[in-house]
Amino acid sequence: MKLTRKAALVMAAVPAIVFITPVGSASAHGYVSSPPSRQAQCASGVVKNCGGPEWEPQSNEGDKGRTDCWGGDRLDFQVLNDDSRGWQATNVGTSLTMTWTFTARHRTRDYEYFIGGTRVGYVNGNNAAPVDPVQHTINLSGFSGRQKLRAVWNIGDTVKAFYSCMDINIGGTGGNPTPPPTTTNPTPPPVGGTWAPNTAYATGATVTYGGSSYRCLQGHTSLTGWEPPNAASLWQKI
Amino acid sequence: MKRLVIAIAAAVLALAGCGGEAIVPEGQGAHGHGANSAAPPPPAASSRFNDADVTFVQMMVDHLQLGISLSQLAMAKATKQETKDLAGAINTTQREELSMLKSWLKLWGKPEQGGANLHVQHGGQPLLDDKVINDTKEKSGAEFDLAFLNLMTGHQGAAVEMALTEKKDGQNPETTAYAERVANTRQGQIQQMLKAISEP
Repeated sequence: MKLTRKAALVMAAVPAIVFITPVGSASAHGYVSSPPSRQAQCASGVVKNCGGPEWEPQSNEGDKGRTDCWGGDRLDFQVLNDDSRGWQATNVGTSLTMTWTFTARHRTRDYEYFIGGTRVGYVNGNNAAPVDPVQHTINLSGFSGRQKLRAVWNIGDTVKAFYSCMDINIGGTGGNPTPPPTTTNPTPPPVGGTWAPNTAYATGATVTYGGSSYRCLQGHTSLTGWEPPNAASLWQKI
Repeated sequence: MKRLVIAIAAAVLALAGCGGEAIVPEGQGAHGHGANSAAPPPPAASSRFNDADVTFVQMMVDHLQLGISLSQLAMAKATKQETKDLAGAINTTQREELSMLKSWLKLWGKPEQGGANLHVQHGGQPLLDDKVINDTKEKSGAEFDLAFLNLMTGHQGAAVEMALTEKKDGQNPETTAYAERVANTRQGQIQQMLKAISEP
């Protein structure tokens, strides 16, 4: 009987896959966003084709006590150890303030900062969860020129740590790097142009996409995934 | 007779609990009213889905609401027009996504609530909660910008992680396509925000 077969199919399908869906692995995590760490440079597109860190700059995790720029847990983050990837060095003075970005909070043992084997900074986490924004200022007197500064976030409730390497140029001119060219400079609303990602569109701008015309409802810089048919709240079909 | 199938399916699903694959009979939605075609379907998800799809959508409902609250603050308080614009675009697109996801959960007969607990199971204390958002509201000027940009960068980073998990484990085609858009749009937003953070 048809109904019974349907029901049987439903019943058969369930036990076969009950235990397949994994409980998501613990996600979490954090990195130094300013000055831009290596993973931040991957995520912001300053350094291309990084793989894992491009999508999850926060996930450079590994056992505590590592002495390089790779956390070690994920092979697709080994790129962060590759000094030949064209990392941009940020010009800094001898007093350097760093900002952390977190995607989830962990109780924190401490933060450590190293240049080579020398610990140049330590901040006790008091086993508390971080409260944004987390900024630390360290003194780099005694160092000059291009250096690799390794920041370590030691987690209080796991055996893990998160690693962020920053390429810095101590005593370089100015406190900030020359901003990389961006595509987000305000431009007059293009009229009748074809929609493109990474373009600043003002409210009222019109574009064509897939043979249709759209009017911008909310000024924004366009992104892959915000194509007019996928973002009716940003683009009204006209 | 159809009711029998639905009743059996429901019983099986109840037994299977977390981790089961659900197949809602095509066109019948959550309530089994197959003949009722009066309601115009919003961006519809098809009826075949698995537990990963449901988990992702429930977690995203919670995640979108927190992102809407945070972006709302920046629309009013950010000092740079670029940041205000980004916050406005995040706000409006996430509202659109939220209403779509809620319609999917309704179709699937799954609750909207529960996402916050799932976050705890899936990675510890979440970045954002009402207290963090209230504390951020008290900040102003450059201090607000710094807090907002870092919080939203982290918040959207968590969305990328959830989306990558859904792309790997999900089954429902509309949901995995949405996950692809989440990964791309959040990654694009993170690019813009990281640039803003490193170019004060």
